[in-house]
Amino acid sequence: MGMTIGKKPELLAPAGNLEKLKFAIHYGADAVYIGGKQFGLRAKAGNFSFEDMEEGVAFANKYGAKVYVAANIIAHNENLEGAHEYFKKLYDIGIAAVIVADPALISACRESAPNLEVHISTQASIANWRTVQFWKNQGIPRVVLAREVSLEEIKEMKEKVDIEIEAFVHGAMCISYSGRCVLSNHMTARDANRGGCAQSCRWNYDLFEDGTDGSVSISDRADEAYTMSSKDLSMVEHLPDLIHAGVDSLKIEGRMKSIHYVATVVNVYRKIIDTYFEDPANYQLDPEWVDEIWKAAQRSLTTAFYYNEPTEKDQLFGKPDRITKYDFAGLVLEYDEATQIATIQQRNSFKVGDEIEFFGPNFYHFKQTIKEIWNEHGEKMDIAKHPMMITKVKVDQPVRYYDMMRKSK
Amino acid sequence: MNTSYRPELVATARDLKEVKVLAEAGADAILVGHQKYGLRVTGDFGLEDIEQAVLFLHGLNKKIYVVTNAIFHNQDLIDLPHYFERLVELKVDGIVCGDPSVFPILDEMGKFIPVFWNPETLSTNFETLKFWQKQGIQRAILSNELALDAIFEIKQELELPIEIQIHGMTCIFQSKRKLVSNYYHHIEDVNNQEKYDRDKKLHLKEPKKEDTNYPVFEDFNGTHIMSNEDLCMIEHLEPLIDKRIDSLRINGILQSRSYNEAIVKLYREAIDLCMSDLYQYKSFQFLNRVRESLGAIKSEERKLGTGFYFKEQIY
Repeated sequence: MGMTIGKKPELLAPAGNLEKLKFAIHYGADAVYIGGKQFGLRAKAGNFSFEDMEEGVAFANKYGAKVYVAANIIAHNENLEGAHEYFKKLYDIGIAAVIVADPALISACRESAPNLEVHISTQASIANWRTVQFWKNQGIPRVVLAREVSLEEIKEMKEKVDIEIEAFVHGAMCISYSGRCVLSNHMTARDANRGGCAQSCRWNYDLFEDGTDGSVSISDRADEAYTMSSKDLSMVEHLPDLIHAGVDSLKIEGRMKSIHYVATVVNVYRKIIDTYFEDPANYQLDPEWVDEIWKAAQRSLTTAFYYNEPTEKDQLFGKPDRITKYDFAGLVLEYDEATQIATIQQRNSFKVGDEIEFFGPNFYHFKQTIKEIWNEHGEKMDIAKHPMMITKVKVDQPVRYYDMMRKSK
Repeated sequence: MNTSYRPELVATARDLKEVKVLAEAGADAILVGHQKYGLRVTGDFGLEDIEQAVLFLHGLNKKIYVVTNAIFHNQDLIDLPHYFERLVELKVDGIVCGDPSVFPILDEMGKFIPVFWNPETLSTNFETLKFWQKQGIQRAILSNELALDAIFEIKQELELPIEIQIHGMTCIFQSKRKLVSNYYHHIEDVNNQEKYDRDKKLHLKEPKKEDTNYPVFEDFNGTHIMSNEDLCMIEHLEPLIDKRIDSLRINGILQSRSYNEAIVKLYREAIDLCMSDLYQYKSFQFLNRVRESLGAIKSEERKLGTGFYFKEQIY
């Protein structure tokens, strides 16, 4: 089979709150997924009230983007109350689809909002084409695959079933089959499948071999704890492979991640997708894109199950790898071309002499040293240390509203 | 109490020998399977062994169910229709499934076999089970992380037989990855012949919790971590029977043959007594004997508990 160039896949970004939604869309996401106050797995993400959702949908519509709502808990009886009203409200607000793992919520959505699209969440661990076919037969237009499937398996699914496939391209991962882990329930009495996950898989354990002479601690012998932490997924170097496999929606993980993270990662994947589709035959990976991804990385990176079954090299053992972390230092609000002075809202402390980087949508970047800072009354300052304070900074190149200023930690 | 109700006592068996022993010890139904198709089976049965087990159990008017609830990948689907065809021919009484792929496969086969639904952690509410009922399931096997009140509500709302686990370890984590092998490779403590399967007898301890013991092993389906406690509901059968829970399951994984035999006998006796003479069942004399028996057979490292049946969870 020759290489076919299909349609441009959707770039789907996480949005933990309204501000993150705006940044994700501004930086190039075709769609965002958010959580409401109910039925979602990220109990600690900001999450959206119905009013926030309305504003989010209005903003998204202006840019031709879609908003999906994750309602991906595995419900217990008492959680079912209000589901019908909830889905009806989401439909009325203009939410494009809900991402659901529990069939109870599919039924509720079908009954109360039959025209609201339902996507099956990765929490349902869809790992073979027959299961994809099952959901297709149920009238489901899109499935989010288990993180355990390979590119070859995705290809076969797309060949055998006419359905939209959404797959993760970037972010943190469960090391278990998602939904098949109740470590948190057992160790902390917090229900992982209803948003209470304590990330117990990432703790340090002691591994013992039980022999005839009793138990021997392997972790003591090796002087290293037993851990089960996965490196984070990144397909930044291999995006065309996902496109060739037929993936319809490329999903970035991280409703709990910062604005800086979301903007940076979306910016890179937007750039890659657009560059690829401009001229697929001559596509080449630009090392700058990889460098940029590392500025948002929180852990080492892996391609997880896409090419091979992961080994110890895809897990985090011992001391964490040293990764230079960056802070979101400021948000550009305005720019005066005549004076080359930008109005910047402080997001993290910065001072005269700092090496900073400006970046914006369409992979716009430049670095400079901060030479002068003024407060909003035009008084000179050495340091902008108050959160959200309005400052003026002289910039080397033009900037625009929504451009961001970052500095290394 | 209505006499037509009698709970089914289901037990897992590792091989034909254990099928016989546990049937004779009082199990009404036996669960068998092969790790290629089922999750955390206690031993691997080939189709010939299953045939033998069917003949033996049907001779005693007992049931046999085959566990086929793995999370399948494309490759695993190739043999599956043939396997199901054979199980139909062998007249097993049901297959325990947990992956939705089985519905289109069985539809295309056009033959009937009772499907029992056990997706482990995902069987948590009655609306979910009503959804699977529409797909044709004949029995709902509930998740272990439910309170008894929730189980009783499901029983009330659902017109399907339900099954819960009443004794033994429960699985609390499954990864497709070979996490134990990966660890040994990382610490370079590797003998390449080594398998980190259940014969290796490995367990994990939580940080700073000396008395924890979570068995861990690898098999065809990846890495499995088991509960710190062995579920033990023998003193709490009355509400289960009162609410007419249809099937009560003993999971014998990672336990000795003698332990499993003794446990099945003990539950057989307790269930029968609870049905026939509640006063006796609740007597100090009986409970004391149960506790002594349990004390005599259980290993020191394993604690007994009631799991989530009386416990609240937050989220």
